[in-house]
Amino acid sequence: MSIETNTGEILKNSGTFLASLIILPPLTIGILRKTKARFQNRIGAPLLQPFFDLAKLLQKNETVSEHASWLFRIAPCINLTVMLLLSLLIPWTSLTAIPHGIISADLFLIIYLLGLARFFTVLAALDTGSAFGGFGASREVTLALLVEPAVMLCLACLGVRAGTSDLSQVFSYEATRLTGQYGLWFLAGCGLFLSSLVELSRMPADDPTTHLELTMVHEAMILENSAANLALAEIGHYIKVALLLGLSWQCFMHCLPSHLLSDWTARAIASTGGIISLALFIALIESLAVKLRWTKLPEFIAYAVAMAIFSYLIALSV
Amino acid sequence: MQLSTFEALAMLSAVLGILILGTTLLRTNLSFYRFHTLAIVALTVWIGHITKEAHLYIVAAAVLLVKVLFIPSFLGWVMKKAEVGSDKQAFIAAPLSMHLGAIMLGVSYLLSSRIPGLEGVHQEGSHLGSTAAMSILFTGVLLMLTRRAALSQILGFLVIENGIYLFAVTQTHGMPMLVEMGLLLEVLVGVMISGLLLFNIKKSFEHIDVSQLTDLKD
Repeated sequence: MSIETNTGEILKNSGTFLASLIILPPLTIGILRKTKARFQNRIGAPLLQPFFDLAKLLQKNETVSEHASWLFRIAPCINLTVMLLLSLLIPWTSLTAIPHGIISADLFLIIYLLGLARFFTVLAALDTGSAFGGFGASREVTLALLVEPAVMLCLACLGVRAGTSDLSQVFSYEATRLTGQYGLWFLAGCGLFLSSLVELSRMPADDPTTHLELTMVHEAMILENSAANLALAEIGHYIKVALLLGLSWQCFMHCLPSHLLSDWTARAIASTGGIISLALFIALIESLAVKLRWTKLPEFIAYAVAMAIFSYLIALSV
Repeated sequence: MQLSTFEALAMLSAVLGILILGTTLLRTNLSFYRFHTLAIVALTVWIGHITKEAHLYIVAAAVLLVKVLFIPSFLGWVMKKAEVGSDKQAFIAAPLSMHLGAIMLGVSYLLSSRIPGLEGVHQEGSHLGSTAAMSILFTGVLLMLTRRAALSQILGFLVIENGIYLFAVTQTHGMPMLVEMGLLLEVLVGVMISGLLLFNIKKSFEHIDVSQLTDLKD
C-alpha cells in the first residue's frame, strides 16, 4: 500500500491516535483504581487523579541517591521512549497512526523492544544498590522469562496464519486469512491477557497497592525514583498498561461479527470501550482474588502458556 | 475454515477440560469441571437443535441437573467435610500435565482424522467432535494417573465419563434415552459411593493419598 491515501484521513487518524495516546493510559489507571475503591466501599480518588499525580510529581525537586550513576537518571527516559515507539508499532487501537507499509511492525521487534524497556528498568533498579530494588529486579526478570514464550507463541501463531510477521497487517481489518478464525483469535487473546496481567504486575502476580516492600515486584524497582524521574517511569508504565490491554482486546475484537465493525467510528469506540472494560475486569479480579504466593506463580503463567499451545495447535491444523 | 458453532462448543469443552489439569487446588478443579460440563450440555442442546432429536434436550437437562449442579456441589461438600484443600503431591507437576494435555489434544486431532463425523452436524471432512471427545478422554486418564488424592481420581473418572458421553453424542444421534439415563444414574451412584468411601479412607488412614493405600496397616 502506498501513501496515496488522502491527507484528511491521515490527519484524522493521527489526531485521534495522539489524543487517545495522551488521554487513555492515565484514564485507564484512574478507572481501575476508582472501580477497586468502589468495590471496597470507598469513594476513591477522582478518575483524573493519575493526571494530577503526574503534574504534581513533575513540579517536585528530585532526590537522587549518591550511589546512583547516570544510568539511574536516564533509564526512565529510555523506558518512556521505547514505550512511545511501541505505541506506534503495536496495533493496540483499531486505527493506524502510520499508513501501512512505511514501517514494518515486526512481532519480534515488538517483543524485544518490550524486553529492552524491561532491561533498562532492571538496570536502574540495581544501580542504586538498594536491597529492595535488587529484589524487584530479580523477580521481574524471572517473571519475564516465564511469560515471554507465551506472548511470543500467541503472536507468532497469528502471524503464521496470516502469513506475515508484520503485526499491523495481522491485526488489520481487511480480509486476510485470519478472518473468521474466531477460535484462534479468542485463545490468543486469552493468552495475551493472562500474560499481560503478569507483565503489568497486576494482581495474581503482584499487588500494585501493597505497602510491604518484600512482596513488591514493579513497585520495588521504582522505589528510589522521585519527582520527574518517577513521573516518567509512571507514564511509561501507564502506556504499557494501555498497550498490552489494547493488544489483547484487539484479539477479542476480531472475534466479534465483522459487520458490527465495518466503519471507522464503530471500531474506534469498540477499541476504547474494550480497553476500559478490560481495566474494569482487572479491577474485578483484584477485588475478588488475592495475590498468588510466589511459588504458585508458575502455575498461573502455565495457563497463559497452555492458551498459547492451544492456539499453536489451531494454527497448525486449520 | 471457520469453526461452526458445533465445533467451537466441542473445542471449548475440550479446552476447559484440559484446564482442570492445570492446578492442584481441588476447589478450582471442581469449578473448571462445572464449566467443562456446561459446555457439553450446551453442545448436547445444539446437536438436539440440529438433528431435531427431542430426547437430547431431556438428556441435556438431566446432565445439567446431575453433573453440573449436583455432583460438584456434593464433592465440594465432601471436600469440606474431609478437610482436603489441595492435591499435595502430584506425580507430575500440574503445569506440566496441563501442557501434556494440550499436546494430547493435538494427538487426538491426528487420531480422530479417520473417524467420520455425524451426517448433517459436522461440516464436510471435519471431525473435531471426536477430537474433543478423545482429548477429554486423555485428560481424564492424565488426571487419574498423575494425581494422588482420591478426590482427583473421582474427578478423573467423571472427566473420562464426559469424554465417552461426548463421543456417543457426536458420533450417533444420541444413545436411546433409557441408556443415557441409566448411565447418568450409575455415575451419580458411583460418585456418591466413592464420596462416602473417601470419608472412610480419611477416617482410617488420615489422608486420601491413593498411592499409599496398598501399604498394609494393622
